[in-house]
Amino acid sequence: MKRTLLAVVAIVLLIAGAGAQDKVIKIGTLFPLTGSVATAGQRCQAAVETIVDIINGIYPDLDLPIAKKAGLLNGYKIELIKADHQGKPDVAKSEAERLYEQEGVFAVIGSYNSSASKPASAVAERLQKIFMCGASSSAALTERGLQYFFRLAPTDRIENVEFAHWIEELNKVKAAGIKTAAVIYENTEFGKHAADEAKVVSAKMGVKIVADVPFTPGATNLNSEIQKLKAARPDALFAAVLGADYSLMIRTMKQSAWKPKMAINYCGGYQDPKIAEQMGKDGWGFMGSAGYTPEFGSRFMKAVAPVEKYYKAKVGVPFDTEKVAQVLRTTTFDSPLSMGGKVQFGPDGQNIKAASVISQLQNGSYVTVYPYEFKDGDPIFPMPNW
Amino acid sequence: MNSKIIRKLGFPTLVFALALLPAFGVIGKGFTSHVLILILLNAAMAQAWNLIGGYGGQVSFGHSVFFGIGAYGAAYAVCVGGNAPWGGALAGIIIAAVVSVLVSYPCFKLKGHYFAIATFAIVEIFNRLFMVWDWIGGALGLDYPILKDSWKNFTWASDKTGYYYGAVVIFALVFAIIKYLEKARFGYYLRAVREGQETAESLGVNSTRMKLAAMALSAAVAALCGAFFAQYNYRVDPPTVMSLDMSMKFVLVAILGGIGTFWGPLLGALVLIPLQEYTRAYLAKLGSGVDLIIFGLIIILMMEFQPGGIMGILSAVRKKAIAARSQKPEGAR
Repeated sequence: MKRTLLAVVAIVLLIAGAGAQDKVIKIGTLFPLTGSVATAGQRCQAAVETIVDIINGIYPDLDLPIAKKAGLLNGYKIELIKADHQGKPDVAKSEAERLYEQEGVFAVIGSYNSSASKPASAVAERLQKIFMCGASSSAALTERGLQYFFRLAPTDRIENVEFAHWIEELNKVKAAGIKTAAVIYENTEFGKHAADEAKVVSAKMGVKIVADVPFTPGATNLNSEIQKLKAARPDALFAAVLGADYSLMIRTMKQSAWKPKMAINYCGGYQDPKIAEQMGKDGWGFMGSAGYTPEFGSRFMKAVAPVEKYYKAKVGVPFDTEKVAQVLRTTTFDSPLSMGGKVQFGPDGQNIKAASVISQLQNGSYVTVYPYEFKDGDPIFPMPNW
Repeated sequence: MNSKIIRKLGFPTLVFALALLPAFGVIGKGFTSHVLILILLNAAMAQAWNLIGGYGGQVSFGHSVFFGIGAYGAAYAVCVGGNAPWGGALAGIIIAAVVSVLVSYPCFKLKGHYFAIATFAIVEIFNRLFMVWDWIGGALGLDYPILKDSWKNFTWASDKTGYYYGAVVIFALVFAIIKYLEKARFGYYLRAVREGQETAESLGVNSTRMKLAAMALSAAVAALCGAFFAQYNYRVDPPTVMSLDMSMKFVLVAILGGIGTFWGPLLGALVLIPLQEYTRAYLAKLGSGVDLIIFGLIIILMMEFQPGGIMGILSAVRKKAIAARSQKPEGAR
């Protein structure tokens, strides 16, 4: 009898104990861990894991509010559930469903490829769950009127507006005389979108697009594409070219002995230090936007800190999607780790404080040239010859 | 006698059991339902391919073109037209059948491997064409708006019961067609063409017409599966629905199960799809690509040791059992 009682007490204690310890928020990550953009996906994953370590552990040496103590909201630990969408939209959709329904995650962070983020976030919206989007640049993502979709990274459109300012600035300061431009882009959701935006912005600036050159990603040869560009003789080149295609483009440009006055790339190949290393001297002088860095994960997690404060003061039942979404929608978060300095989501879910800078490869390093408040060097213009 | 009854009643019983499954609360939310739906869909896709690839002996890698046309039909009606998907799906099915006849007619002049290579090229042509065709979204693809759950829209947010019934209907329809054709004159003609085109023609079978009819039917069914796929994933784009990757799914499931057999496509899907889905879901955590390595390894082993597919294994086992049975009495004596 006594033994049974003891056993019952032990079980109750165990359950209670488990309950007390069980302060865990499950967060899903959904990135292309395999497939053609696996490197990028693995980096996104690593970034999120890094910041989760910082949140869950104690890092007194870091000057971040979330680093000083373990966990969030009086010790809630974050548990990451990892999923791989292989760069395929249909897999992204079914994995998002599995994460929310099977694994019971509170929110999903993902998904790098815009084409994967779309169906995955549609799942979130239908289930009324939060979807946090890091590096998917298609502006269309935040034009769908979703309630539970939030994106931190700047879109192609934001980058393009910045490119336009930059070109106007160059025309003014450096007497650059940029009157014509060409676009080269991979024929995918990302490339097509970036190129369309580039055309809109160019038209606004009065810069004439003289060549419009799509190519198939993973190409082994870009000769005819570069010849087309060369023949059109644009002053500036907008490129939406990723990874290995980017170094191929630059090699082919060198072989064809052609360089426009400036070449500027959307997120992707340009800012990958490995690619910069591969290209060596050939890459010097090329410019690009930098808004997606492996640190974006830390920027996102940083934004959670004020949510924590809000909850401490207000809510008894933690992690109500509606309430968290409300906080995300209405709060401006301090974000010392992000370029914008702050994070604030517009009604469409886009981070309206998202910023990116324009940098140029000079002597093997990325020199920030614009906007001026962030610059650490002057642009070399026009690009030095091969 | 016994096996005859199974052969006669096995299929209707299976469909009946599948239709009853939701009553037991097995279907609804969650991953299991997802896997079941994919099994049925892929079995139907492989069976569609099996008609021309297995019974007709024309190994086509072009089926994603027809699948894609069906998917685009439904998606276009919903995303651009703002209508229910049904009309678009029907249009897609008809267009797919017509396109299949138009592209297959010249290709059927090629034999064996050359036919297969030509179908590779056709997928690439259609993939590029759809990539730059802005009227249907081009490289951006078409994304579904968020619609109310209903049979009219054929979308459901969370509960998969509707999708499940849809998959059962497609599965039953496709398998019933093949079941009927196995015994029909058309089916015999088709197999005769596979075994020897010249011989069949010398006996008065119009081989081109047989192959074209089989291809049209196969394409129409593939398009139906494509429309379902679009409704299920809320999105179509050329790399997903109209690519060699997608074509491979048709071929792989059929070959794994056993081509030219009635149950092969279902068995192939039963093995391949859970393997693919569960290895990804539970092994992707281990690190990059472990799931894909295991998945690939199993397929290689399968092809190495039993190229006849699962049906090959089953018939080998049965032969052994029969041999053992016929030997036993002798031993007893």
